[in-house]
Amino acid sequence: MRASRGLRTVALTYLALLLVLPVGMVFYRTFEDGVAAAWAAVTAPDAVHAFWLTLLMVAVAVPANTVFGIGCALVLVRHRFPGKALLNALIDLPFAVSPVVVGLALVLLYGRTGWFGTWLADQGIQVIFAPLGMILATIFVSLPFVVREVVPVLREIGSDQEEAASTLGASSWQAFWRVTLPSIRWGVAYGVILTTARALGEFGAVSVVSGKLAGQTETLPVHVEQAFQNFDLAGAYSASVVLAAMALLTVLSMNLLKREEVTR
Amino acid sequence: MSIEVVGVSKRFGDFLALDDVSLSVRDGSLTALLGPSGSGKSTLLRVIAGLELPDSGSVRIQGADATHVPAQRRGVGFVFQHYAAFKHMTVRDNVAFGMSIRKRPRAEIRERVDQLLDLVHLSGFAHRYPAQLSGGQRQRMALARALAVEPAVLLLDEPFGALDANVRKELREWLRDLHERVHVTTVFVTHDQEEAMEVAEQIVVMNDARVEQVAAPRELYENPGSEFVMRFVGPVAELGDALVRPHDIEILPVPDWGTEEAMVRRVSHLGFEVRVELEAADGRRVAVQVTRARAVELELEAGQIVWLRPDRGGALAGGRSAAQAGVGVAGGNPD
Repeated sequence: MRASRGLRTVALTYLALLLVLPVGMVFYRTFEDGVAAAWAAVTAPDAVHAFWLTLLMVAVAVPANTVFGIGCALVLVRHRFPGKALLNALIDLPFAVSPVVVGLALVLLYGRTGWFGTWLADQGIQVIFAPLGMILATIFVSLPFVVREVVPVLREIGSDQEEAASTLGASSWQAFWRVTLPSIRWGVAYGVILTTARALGEFGAVSVVSGKLAGQTETLPVHVEQAFQNFDLAGAYSASVVLAAMALLTVLSMNLLKREEVTR
Repeated sequence: MSIEVVGVSKRFGDFLALDDVSLSVRDGSLTALLGPSGSGKSTLLRVIAGLELPDSGSVRIQGADATHVPAQRRGVGFVFQHYAAFKHMTVRDNVAFGMSIRKRPRAEIRERVDQLLDLVHLSGFAHRYPAQLSGGQRQRMALARALAVEPAVLLLDEPFGALDANVRKELREWLRDLHERVHVTTVFVTHDQEEAMEVAEQIVVMNDARVEQVAAPRELYENPGSEFVMRFVGPVAELGDALVRPHDIEILPVPDWGTEEAMVRRVSHLGFEVRVELEAADGRRVAVQVTRARAVELELEAGQIVWLRPDRGGALAGGRSAAQAGVGVAGGNPD
């Protein structure tokens, strides 16, 4: 009993010091000067723009990585081809490479003097210092989650059910929609939630390619940093609270999903 | 012929799973593919179903070339060893799957599913999920699902392999009954010779990627074509140069032409039959089965010297000749 109580104390203190206290401080500071002040900071045009731009990142990166992730997981689990081990390793690259490096790489490719940048500029398409580049960066850093969640589930269910569906007359498309996808739905759901959380919070890669133009290429994390740099503490704290609230919502929905999965 | 396989070979990397295999299955028959694991029997079944593409050779189903027809359009029903139940669907939706893919009218699907659930004794389970069924029930559901699309042939891959002994026995009888009622051409894979003997009308014995022999159960038991088949489909005793069934050995109280001397080591009374364990002059052990009456007549007891002789034509004469000496190594009965 005593040992477990000691362990509990250590765990709770650790969480309090590293998690609860800092987040709590942000909340406290935000509402220090009253709700009205916080509301004013949150509804400032630049903050509102950052909020919508962040949602745009999520709205593009999550579907893109979900579709790619499921397809990639299917290829990795169900097919044999040369270079499979390489593909498997490549998928984890965004976990390993620092986001700043990702941002720099995108600048090198799509920047004004980059490989594709010159041609794209001729077509009137701007990637770097524009939302398009930020979307690319977000997709890159949040790419592995769906693949990594779906692969083990696919392995576990095996190909029996898909083969059964095909002997019953289903095309591979029908087998996918009616048999495979429902079987892997929890894995996909977790992957989507983790991708969302990552896309919401991404700072490094996005900040490199964004150019940090207030009201134009600032997502919420970039906006927080910029406000902080400019001594606009009220703006920084309140935007942080919005970001934290969105993250909290994402984590909560994950817990709800878990509960539903258990009761099934 | 309902199924015709001609010269099919299939290789997985370095492993040769099927080596120039040919096979004919009559319309409406019940056939067993019997063999030890790794003999190629499941691969052959999967080639027939279109789940595996042969490297060479052809498959015809009901007269039409099906070699390159995908599983989806072969019209075969396939039952998997581990059921392959659609876990997220109810029993009703599982059975209805094939018909709903074919976009049959709802009323028709409903009626046919009810019929099939009745046939497999699962009427009360329509709204359950597979996880709420026992193994035997899941396999019956899988059978109903396969039969729902009125397949030209029904293929079962070790259908009772994952079930415990009692359920397995029950389902065997039930499969026979079902076949008598539905009369769809049926091929099932098994490594259990007793199961094959009990259920099938025709047995295809496979060994080492090839078909060893095709025969009716009785024919297979009485006239095995090779030492492998002889050993695989029942117990054997070695007497001199011949392989003999234990009940095809005659025990004589005196030497005679063609007999071999042996000493009785143990006599076990198993009700109707008596099992006699003997040791031949060269030290080899031989087990013989005799009737109770014969054992009493010979007054068999341990330590007694008797003479053995293969009875009638039951022996696989020359079974240990050079040509077949190597075959027995992979043999032996797994059960």
